[in-house]
Amino acid sequence: MVEYQSIQQRGFHNTYDSEGRITGFEFKFVPKYYKGLWFTQCRFGNVKVDGEEFDRDTLVYEYDGLEYSREELFSLEKYWQFRSPLIVKIKKEGGLTKGYHDVFMDFGWVLNYNGALEAEPDGSGLGNMAHMFGTANQRRMLLCR
Amino acid sequence: MSAKKGHPKRGISVYSYHNLLGRTMTLEDCFEEMYDTGATCFELLTSYIDNYPNPSPAWVDKYWRLCEKYNLEPAELGHWAENHLRRGPGMSDEEVVEELKQDFRLANLLGFKALRTKITCTNDLCDPEPGWQNYIEKALPYAEKYDVVMQNEVHLPTTLHTPHIRDEYLDFIHRTGTSHFGFNIDFGTFQYRPSKGLEFMGLTFEDITKPEEIVDFLPYSKACHTKFTYMNENFDEETIPYKEVIKLMVDNGWDGWLLSEYEGGLRFHAEESAEDFAAAIDGIPDQVRRHQIMMSNLLGY
Repeated sequence: MVEYQSIQQRGFHNTYDSEGRITGFEFKFVPKYYKGLWFTQCRFGNVKVDGEEFDRDTLVYEYDGLEYSREELFSLEKYWQFRSPLIVKIKKEGGLTKGYHDVFMDFGWVLNYNGALEAEPDGSGLGNMAHMFGTANQRRMLLCR
Repeated sequence: MSAKKGHPKRGISVYSYHNLLGRTMTLEDCFEEMYDTGATCFELLTSYIDNYPNPSPAWVDKYWRLCEKYNLEPAELGHWAENHLRRGPGMSDEEVVEELKQDFRLANLLGFKALRTKITCTNDLCDPEPGWQNYIEKALPYAEKYDVVMQNEVHLPTTLHTPHIRDEYLDFIHRTGTSHFGFNIDFGTFQYRPSKGLEFMGLTFEDITKPEEIVDFLPYSKACHTKFTYMNENFDEETIPYKEVIKLMVDNGWDGWLLSEYEGGLRFHAEESAEDFAAAIDGIPDQVRRHQIMMSNLLGY
């Protein structure tokens, strides 16, 4: 079972190296959509936390125990199972402070419904479904460690 | 008109519960809900198959146990004929056929005879992307092998008189003589006025399907979505001429699967706030139950 929000609070924490130094933070992401998707259909956008932006090509995405870059996901012939979380890892020296944070991530996808395929008039690279479902995901979450 | 009355089966699409599935409801919870309504058949989507497209034998066993325990017959499997799964040019016909074969095998394994096959569309009216006939025709022998019927869903704002329905899909059926391609007629195509909770969508209902139009299409339909967006407390749906359409189906001897598909305001707003999600937790199963009472009243069983 997952939370109803696309950005999950369960799994939101700083990340540490083997010597206990904070290397960044991570959270889990589950699309709100009613079906699963092939990763090749997914279009990931930037992450923003409290206004600080992290470029999508600096993020690491972990699914089923393996890590991928955004570019690698374009050719990952794997099905993102329905209601199954993807871990989004963000490098940030010192990580995030304990307390509340506003976490934002753009996410879109390509699907064969009722629209021009890969029509992305805003140049965002966020797929062709934004006209029906938007791409913004946002949640205020409490970080404890 | 056929002399023999039809006896449509009363069922539910698990899609109706999708906001809750995996969050507050398991697949078994959905089966238990459906059993409570007296429904006897159901629609699943490929995404709701655990580890799609390769479910484990243990999951398949569990699935059949659920069908037996809750006395529910598999009716339709919703799937997608995606031909743009990768960036760049579309997939070859052969690649799409492989994708379709994979879903046909799964449908066969899980007992589904009907498929809702989503062909790539290029606009709001759902005009199909040119060339669809090539891969669908190549897939027909496999549909026959796995005993499934691909059904194109006729969904609002598409009507049964939208040109591509006759000029492309019906023409394809006649040209090939296939019994493995047809239509899932979503009852939303008959909707004639806005429904409570969905006013924000701004639909006009200027061009809708008239109930009598369904008759010509019944021979090509195995399963239909009995779409609803709001059921009132008297168990009435106020925007779709249910009574008239179902009478036409029964009088014309139609014996297919009618699958309640909820797509109302609770579904669109469920993820917007804790209050909206709480409303969906109670409200969606309640809406489906109300709809099943209406269907039971209309069908007499």
